[in-house]
Amino acid sequence: MPEPTTTLVNGTLVTGTLVDTARLGSGLGSVYRALDLVVDGYGLDDAALVVDVPGLGRQVLHAGRRPIGDDTAHLHDAADGLYTEPPIDEPVVQELLLALGAIALRYDARPEPGVGAGIDPGAQGVA
Amino acid sequence: MSLDELELELRRLRGVLAVGFQEADGLLLAELQAGPDAYPELARDATLIANQGAVGPVAVEVVRWGDRGNASRDTRLRLVEITNDPAAAEIHVRLALDADEGVGRASTGHGLLAPVEATVAAIRVFLPDLRFVAGWARLVETTPDRRFLVVASVTDPDTQEHRRGAAEGASPIAAASRATLAALNRTIAPDLAPLL
Repeated sequence: MPEPTTTLVNGTLVTGTLVDTARLGSGLGSVYRALDLVVDGYGLDDAALVVDVPGLGRQVLHAGRRPIGDDTAHLHDAADGLYTEPPIDEPVVQELLLALGAIALRYDARPEPGVGAGIDPGAQGVA
Repeated sequence: MSLDELELELRRLRGVLAVGFQEADGLLLAELQAGPDAYPELARDATLIANQGAVGPVAVEVVRWGDRGNASRDTRLRLVEITNDPAAAEIHVRLALDADEGVGRASTGHGLLAPVEATVAAIRVFLPDLRFVAGWARLVETTPDRRFLVVASVTDPDTQEHRRGAAEGASPIAAASRATLAALNRTIAPDLAPLL
């Protein structure tokens, strides 16, 4: 598992674990942190989450916020789920990621989105 | 506006399926993947949001997918291969539109501009009246896993209108060719559609 990062946020040193991001940051930031955790923890080349939520519709989140480009994995057309390269046979992880993605994006998609209200403990340069 | 906020605003635009970012040489590239319910002005709205939300210069690319997941991409030229002819000191770029192929050539003496010139020449096989010519290409990043990010620019000499694209590749030449396609594919898509 990756070492938690420590970042200066609003003058305070914050340890940027996934839990910290979920507590203080945005839904999007939490999902990306979780994808990074899965990629690093399982030694993967890549990971993406496809999730359908009210308010935003079907969304594809690619680890590292990287562009999908030519989308050779056909993520734009994929069913909800966690897609990794190489594939992992971890149904619990996949379901947890999917649930996190759904609730995180629902949170962000509210009329008063959570993105602006929270701080991202892992984000650099947040003041 | 934080990157989270910017990404969320872009994802709120109708039809947007995915948002990705890539930063290179001070330029933030935002790529939007859009589904069949995306609207015609999506690129304009995304560019406005990106320019309001980003700290520095930002470029937006919208990749549109149709009902069957491939409609809009069908009107895009696809890079088939890049080859060298050492005897002629030329680089050859082969592009495909559906089952049709076209080859463009350029002198390898032109360095990284050569793949841009060859790609533009290959596009002219399909669109002889293409008004853009090769401008420049610049390698802006080499990733630790030896991938190369290149920004390429093409210009309409009559109007001085510029189109710029960025792309990754296993070599700077491949990246430059892909970047040229990224710069032009959206512009030329309406002209390519009747050819299908």
